[in-house]
Amino acid sequence: MASFALSFQSKKEDEAGLSSYYNNKTTIIQEARVFNESPISPRKCRALLTRIVYLLYVGETFGTQEATTLFFGTTKLFQHKDSALRQAVYLAIKELATTAEDVIMVTSSIMKDMQPNSEVIYRPNAIRALCRIIDPSMAQGVERFFKAAIVDRNPSISSAALVSSYHLFPFAKDVVKRWVNEVQEAVSAKSSGNFFGTVSGGGGYLGFGGSTTASAQQSVPSSSYATQYHALGLLYLIRQQDRMAVTKMIQQLGGGKSGAGTTLKNPMALCMLIRYAAKVMEEDPKLFKRQMLDLLEGWLRHKSDMVNFEAARAICEMKYVNAQQLLLQLFLSSPKPVLKFAATRTLASLALSHPASVAACNVDLESLIADQNRSVATYAITTLLKTGNEASVDRLIKQITGFMTEISDEFKVIIVDAVRSLCLKFPSKHASMLTFLSGVLRDEGGYDFKRAVVEAMFDMIKFIQDCKEQALAHLCEFIEDCEFTKLSVRILHLLGMEGPKSPQPTKYIRFIYNRVVLENATVRAAAVTSLAKFGINSSDSGLQKSINVLLNRCLDDVDDEVQKPLADAYVREESVFSLSALESKLVAYVQDPSASSQRLDLSSVPKISRVQAAQEAARPSTLDTIGAPSTAVSNSPPPPTAAETQSAYATQLTEVPEFATYGSVLNSSASPLRLTENEMEYQVTCVKHIFNEHVVFQYNVSNTLPDVVLEGVSVIMQVNEGADALVEDFIIPIPSLLSANSPGTVYVSFTRANPTEFAVASFSCSLKFVSKEVDPSTGEPEDEGYEDDYALEDVELSAGGDYIIPSYVTFGSEWDRMRTGPSVVETFNLQTMDSIKAACDSIIEVLKMEALGGTEIPQSTTVHVLQLSGLVIGGGGKVLVRCRMTFSQGTGVVLELGVRAEKQEVCDLVISAVAG
Amino acid sequence: MPGFFSSLFGWFSALFFSKAIEIAVVGLQASGKTSFVHVISSGQWSEEVVPTVAYNYRKVRKGNVTINIWDIAGQPKFRSTWERYCNGVDAIVFVVDSSDREKFNAARFELHQLLSQSSLVGVPLLVLGNKNDLEEHAPIKELIPALQLDKISDRPVSCYSCSMKSQHNLDIVLQWLSGRSH
Repeated sequence: MASFALSFQSKKEDEAGLSSYYNNKTTIIQEARVFNESPISPRKCRALLTRIVYLLYVGETFGTQEATTLFFGTTKLFQHKDSALRQAVYLAIKELATTAEDVIMVTSSIMKDMQPNSEVIYRPNAIRALCRIIDPSMAQGVERFFKAAIVDRNPSISSAALVSSYHLFPFAKDVVKRWVNEVQEAVSAKSSGNFFGTVSGGGGYLGFGGSTTASAQQSVPSSSYATQYHALGLLYLIRQQDRMAVTKMIQQLGGGKSGAGTTLKNPMALCMLIRYAAKVMEEDPKLFKRQMLDLLEGWLRHKSDMVNFEAARAICEMKYVNAQQLLLQLFLSSPKPVLKFAATRTLASLALSHPASVAACNVDLESLIADQNRSVATYAITTLLKTGNEASVDRLIKQITGFMTEISDEFKVIIVDAVRSLCLKFPSKHASMLTFLSGVLRDEGGYDFKRAVVEAMFDMIKFIQDCKEQALAHLCEFIEDCEFTKLSVRILHLLGMEGPKSPQPTKYIRFIYNRVVLENATVRAAAVTSLAKFGINSSDSGLQKSINVLLNRCLDDVDDEVQKPLADAYVREESVFSLSALESKLVAYVQDPSASSQRLDLSSVPKISRVQAAQEAARPSTLDTIGAPSTAVSNSPPPPTAAETQSAYATQLTEVPEFATYGSVLNSSASPLRLTENEMEYQVTCVKHIFNEHVVFQYNVSNTLPDVVLEGVSVIMQVNEGADALVEDFIIPIPSLLSANSPGTVYVSFTRANPTEFAVASFSCSLKFVSKEVDPSTGEPEDEGYEDDYALEDVELSAGGDYIIPSYVTFGSEWDRMRTGPSVVETFNLQTMDSIKAACDSIIEVLKMEALGGTEIPQSTTVHVLQLSGLVIGGGGKVLVRCRMTFSQGTGVVLELGVRAEKQEVCDLVISAVAG
Repeated sequence: MPGFFSSLFGWFSALFFSKAIEIAVVGLQASGKTSFVHVISSGQWSEEVVPTVAYNYRKVRKGNVTINIWDIAGQPKFRSTWERYCNGVDAIVFVVDSSDREKFNAARFELHQLLSQSSLVGVPLLVLGNKNDLEEHAPIKELIPALQLDKISDRPVSCYSCSMKSQHNLDIVLQWLSGRSH
């Protein structure tokens, strides 16, 4: 029924459909019944085997089960003696062996066929099939057969054995290595084919003796000596680890200085030898250069074109150019297109390094430009472009333009690259080359080709000032109709960089804004960024204004990707924003509908230097260490940067509903403060979060006792000083804390009485909880527990780290700019400090500000200036500190502290922090 | 006497009609499968038979009957391939070493495993209790229940006790085979 349906369907299909039905996997598997027929019909079976092999070659895959069934079907054909059928069986077995199971079954049948005394035509086929069947452990067992077969007089048997050994080598190195003598013999053997062959060498006479027996063995006479090629390949494979042996082999087979004494008759084998020789020279140039070069030059005069060319190419690649380009020149005028192509290609690559020596061939190359083979012509032109002089450039470019449409993308890329290097070489010719490039840019072509053209134009813009205008105009035109997002983005970026510097920036803006209107999100984002660069970098205020209008229109864009660059106004700054902090800020900004009416407050995002940004990027994400007890933090080798932890804390805090009305966090402590000893049973660390009107203390409490549960865990905070500035709101306790769910978090919230003031306070804290034993058998806590207090270390709210956070600025210019703002200078005498280094460390420790320009490490032991920069949270602006220090034995460190900030309170805060 | 006449008749019919049969010889290792093939093809029995790897194929002419023999290796790793070679044959010959009672269980298991294959339903089975020249060999009566041959109902089953060494009962084996030829 099924077959009826199939045949019915096939009627409707065309010729190709019919053949696909005929060569259909399912059909073939069904028809495999002919293998089981008795008696076997060799003709039918051969036809079916052909179809199986055909299917495998066109890429059809058989499942293991299917392949095994077919495989065992074919093994049944071994009962038939038909030699053509047997050869077909071997072909099929070779292909099926990789997928079928239990292929080992045919080993004995194959072995029977490859017996040395079996005078069958399919002996080589059996040998080739065997290497697919046996596993490495059996290699030893077939060693005797292989050794005999490799030196067999019949070249096809010998070749089969050599090729099979080549394939066996990776699996059974040790065994195959033992056959090296036989292989050596096969390389230098005077093949029995000599007598029949057209080439009669010195070995012809010897071959005569053997040829009578050989012909009796129905051997196929061979004049190709392909055996030598196969043997050489195997020989090299065996010896490749041993460079001395390889060298010896090359010298031995190379046959002396003239190359006349070589025993190798096969040109492919000689080419192979040349490649090995080139490889040896490359690996160890000093040792073998002279000898190898002699050999190579000898081969230049070999009678085979292939060998001549290979030798010439090897020499060209070694960069020892002298006589051989004459030979290549000879090839150039050869009537054979293959030789012409090979020669021009080699010359083209040689021209990259030795244009002068290739220039000798220029005349011949020019005649090849008109060659009807476009590949030859392309290489000829690229070579000429590289070797040519200034005068010929125009003519060449004209010629290229003529056939640019006729060649494939690959060659177009080659030509464009050649033009690109040419225009850097002859800048004065940029006009014609730019015309050429813009012309081909308009042509049809794939991404690689267009990218090559665009990159060539980028180079021209970068290096040739005169053509910048024009090239940019061409690129603008190109992005109008560019289907490759990547290229559009790159061009837009370039326009953003170069456009504002040009005399008429306005003319680019129309092109860029068109992209904003018409393109996909990625290109729109790039276009908006580019516009922003125009706005920022341009000195023309009218232009800035119109850009502003355009950008405002862009705000309506629905895509996040486009919104982002709008928010980033940091195009020209030396410093970058801490990316994670910026990201959380932007996320908050996007999520909060009310905020979108206001401008994004970027001044509150901490800045870090580019160096730090690079470090940060290299660091793994550390989000999961947040809220873990201090032990966990200290275990993770790269501590998270302040900015990263902060943004992570911010996410953590938004999950607590009580803090929802507090607004965004202004600052969180950079690292948790440890309030207990390491070995205590309860571990507590504290993190301070400062909101606009509130201060939240986050206590991470962990219980290390496995059989105790703590219930109602809270932290009682007693204000020691500064009591009036802060009012306690509430405590969020942990209902139940086991060692398994540690650490838990206790929050204590305070209200800042006066948000503009920087309230400094000190607290004594204690942990309060009800402790209950856990019954180890049931895991249930006992009903009765006892209340307990546990004294913790004091917590302070201070200037450094809580109100001032490190930030990166360019100190010199910023210090001058803030000259007019509030500033305070105080002098301190730090008698307890015993060095400038110690003073620096403690000042940084107290103020927690960023030391700039490496000033945290004093160069001199007596005089030093420490430059610090920070950002005051809650819109307090920047604060800069300059500490001039002198040190003398006896008086200690004398410190002159200069503070410049945007508010007087900030100056006072800093001074009091240092004074306290 | 009747046996003689029927064999004479067989010989006569063989003169006029050329026939062929394809058989697969299976059984545990060292039960005498390859010996069986040697004996019916050349009439020679040899002490030194190397264990078969994979399979041997032999084509034998006996009178007008051409016998294609697939002699499959009996070692455990080859047993999974028995089915593939039994598939499509005219008869399955299962050889048992009747002097080795310890292996009867394994032989029974492998035999029934093979016969349970759906592709082999209805294929005639011939069980040979080999090596009956040895003193301690099991007779047919013991062999049939040991291999549970009486439980096979979906095909013709025959069981002979024979010896390759002494060529005892080989004539009836060949007769059985030619009866299956076509």
